[in-house]
Amino acid sequence: MDSALLLELSINGACTGMMYALVAAGIVLIYKTSGVANLAQGALAMTGAYVAWIASTLVGLPMWIGAPLAALVMFGVGALIERLAMRRMIGQPLIMAIMLTMGLEIMLRGVMPGLLGGTVKKIDIGIPNAPIIAGDILINRTLLIGGGVSFAMIVASILFFNSRLGVVMRAVSDDQTASWSVGIRVERAIAVAWGLSAVMATTAGLLWGATQGVDWSLSLLLVKALAIAILGGLDSLPGVLIAGVAVGVIESLATGIIDPVIGGGSREVVASAIILATLLVRPHGLLGREHIERV
Amino acid sequence: MSLLTLNNIEVVYDRVFLAVKGISIEVPPSGLVALLGANGAGKSTVLKAISGLLRAERGEVSRGNASFAGEDVLALAPPERVRRGLVHVLEGRRVFEHLSPAENLLAATTMHRDRARVARRLDEMFTLFPRLAERANSKAGYLSGGEQQMLAIARALMTEPKLILLDEPSLGLAPFLVDEIFDIVRRINAEAGVAVLLVEQNAVAALDLVQSAYLIEQGRIVMSGSAEMLRANPDIQEAYLAGGKAVDYHAVKHYRRRKRWLA
Repeated sequence: MDSALLLELSINGACTGMMYALVAAGIVLIYKTSGVANLAQGALAMTGAYVAWIASTLVGLPMWIGAPLAALVMFGVGALIERLAMRRMIGQPLIMAIMLTMGLEIMLRGVMPGLLGGTVKKIDIGIPNAPIIAGDILINRTLLIGGGVSFAMIVASILFFNSRLGVVMRAVSDDQTASWSVGIRVERAIAVAWGLSAVMATTAGLLWGATQGVDWSLSLLLVKALAIAILGGLDSLPGVLIAGVAVGVIESLATGIIDPVIGGGSREVVASAIILATLLVRPHGLLGREHIERV
Repeated sequence: MSLLTLNNIEVVYDRVFLAVKGISIEVPPSGLVALLGANGAGKSTVLKAISGLLRAERGEVSRGNASFAGEDVLALAPPERVRRGLVHVLEGRRVFEHLSPAENLLAATTMHRDRARVARRLDEMFTLFPRLAERANSKAGYLSGGEQQMLAIARALMTEPKLILLDEPSLGLAPFLVDEIFDIVRRINAEAGVAVLLVEQNAVAALDLVQSAYLIEQGRIVMSGSAEMLRANPDIQEAYLAGGKAVDYHAVKHYRRRKRWLA
């Protein structure tokens, strides 16, 4: 095994991981504000990509309009999910809210391809296919740009949580009743979280859609995203960055090293193995917040 | 005209349990009023009815009305009531544990658009509560009980209220801290003219602070009047102010004084 190949696998893996992490960041965003693990995040990514495809191919808008438009539409979709579905779950057991998001995931997986046809749609976001060659190693240009964009968005959302609106959203996740008592419009804060999360999902959906085409399988990003969110700690955005790189690199190395021996398929195992291992060994993840208890 | 008027308020939990059975209360502008009573008398429920936080506990106001500054508030959502100047400091402090004190205060400013005013208000709070300034950047969950109570009050003041509903600020605090907290309440009331409706089990401390008080038992008001009047009442002394005289239980056959009201 030569080091150039290892390096190549690692770099491409890290970029892939970043793109997974963008989906995971959306899960964290919602969890941080409302305490609900959103299992519809994969389907939101898929739906976002479909919306971008509608805007660019069916309507014929150029991608530089279509992509922001899709993000905008999806912000509305996210906020609407909160308004029409999640808000009814207030006062209900948490498991019902989580099951509701799972139902949404399954429904969107069926509805979007059902409405628009099951064939793989192509979207072009203007990244050339030619790889970047640096010395001995080849770097996939789409992955590199996608990873960069994802990294930038996650860092931006970390900064966002220190702004006033971000502080308010953290307050909501800490104590909803206390938030009401000091005039925070809790429902609105959660709706904004859903909206932003849907925008992040859409970006991820676009980036992935550009590499593999748009069809229902985009929603399988959910599994990778869950692995990253759980490994990083469900409420930590920096945790998502670290876990994203880790999952991406491990997956890529597994594909490059184990697959030739066992004949493929190890990529799919990595994410689920990480979910299991994290939950068994360190349930609150790498950087999940501690439970404060004064004695 | 009074700032807050409750008229015959009834509160039902889970649609069956009647916790507050027709209570009428008035708080004058810049007034200091206490709501006294034992555990489970319905004091906190009254405050939650005023601030609108009953819904989170599956309670609702089933009868009566409440007006604040001349406006019916029962129909308003809790955040709207805060915007009218009605803020509730919850029992048990309920600070945002994972936020720093400074962020706790910032989180309570969603109604203010003017950033400069928010910054000024933040400085005011840190001058009013120097202890918070010292620990402005540690997590609020790690503050002491007294500091958390101060933070909870400061957080409520950030909303620039006309009336603060204070629920058990002395809960679990050392006596000297209780004095400190009550001094602050007195100052807020005197300097900023903020009216206070105080719920307390610590009747001694509360009656020293307030101008008038209501006594609640089992969801009903059984007595009300000025603080002096309540303090002088022998029944109140017996039941809530730990009696007047010490009794030698070996020497006398002791009959408990019966309360002269029906609860």
